[in-house]
Amino acid sequence: MQDILDVITSRKSIRRYKPDPVPDEMIDKVLEAARWAPTGENYQPWRFVVVRDQQTRNKIGDLARVGSGSKMTAWYCLGHMQERFAGIKDPVKRAEVLRFMYSGEVSEFARQSPVVIAVIGTLMEGSVDVPYDLSAAIENMLLMAHAQGLGGCWVHGPVATTRDAKKFKQILGIPTGMGEYKVIAYVSIGWAAEARKHPRPKKNLEDLVYWEKFGQTERPRHG
Amino acid sequence: MDRNALLNQMLYRMEEVFWHELSDCASWKTEYVGIDFIQAQDIKGANEDEVIRSCIDHIKASGLAQEVDFSITGNDILLKLQVRGCQLMLKETLLRKGGIKPYSCPLANMIRDQLIEKLGYETTYLADMAADEKTGCCALKVAIYATPEKIGAVSDWSKE
Repeated sequence: MQDILDVITSRKSIRRYKPDPVPDEMIDKVLEAARWAPTGENYQPWRFVVVRDQQTRNKIGDLARVGSGSKMTAWYCLGHMQERFAGIKDPVKRAEVLRFMYSGEVSEFARQSPVVIAVIGTLMEGSVDVPYDLSAAIENMLLMAHAQGLGGCWVHGPVATTRDAKKFKQILGIPTGMGEYKVIAYVSIGWAAEARKHPRPKKNLEDLVYWEKFGQTERPRHG
Repeated sequence: MDRNALLNQMLYRMEEVFWHELSDCASWKTEYVGIDFIQAQDIKGANEDEVIRSCIDHIKASGLAQEVDFSITGNDILLKLQVRGCQLMLKETLLRKGGIKPYSCPLANMIRDQLIEKLGYETTYLADMAADEKTGCCALKVAIYATPEKIGAVSDWSKE
């Protein structure tokens, strides 16, 4: 059995995909992994809409481009994006990365991803913090996809605002009432067409963990 | 009982917990707050200038704010609003005292909503909000996108 930590630490978000289809059995395993995520009171509020139709994916891609681009254009105009990517020293490369972001192209890859899975949660059958349950399901999906050799990405852009979330629901025929279903993201799945640099920088555990009380960074002797 | 203070205190508590739950996303989720009022008004206008002026007239007539000035610059995507005498300034003050930068403006939401509903704007985004309780003025920067092609029309807003 593969060490789960190897799967976790080698996963990365994939945004460029080959056009090759993903076999049904592989999609089923991704969904099966989602089904076994932890869930408050065993409510299992998650529902999934699996989308392979090109026209539907185009609509989702367009919505994602506008959703991300509208914010990042403003962030660029305010100077925030330039600060965030100041680490890229090559000015030509930096400018291209910034354009990729503020144009919204960074988020429109649902067009190329052969499978898009909308992750929604029912609010009508009892629930405890639905977004947390759905987030756990998404992590399971991404790890299962990666363990099978597929790429995946958790995409929040097209549903980030209330108005965009409604548009997203309308595209997929999901009831739009605020008391019916919550949509938190979609997961793109496909064969990776990029080899991203890995691992990306992560904070050290020493900077994240306290022992026994908040702020106490030194591990006490135990036992 | 000061009904306006009560309203502000309740909104403050709602926005406080919303921020606690969603951090930066809280602003994105609250864009409908205030739209019921403006949708019940008879907002008219054939272009953004007329629609915005009509919204401001109704906002002022209702007493929500004493003065609202605006300008549109930055490749026509930067809507700058200057609001004075806003009835919601107390909630912004309470938020700031609690360590939270004010992030939701129902007045701006009203104008954003009518640009979309009346003129078919593609989308809008509340980019910055600077509420100053000392001067009683709130300066807002709202990105307004008439068409999808306006996404990416960048400029330096510090010079606008």
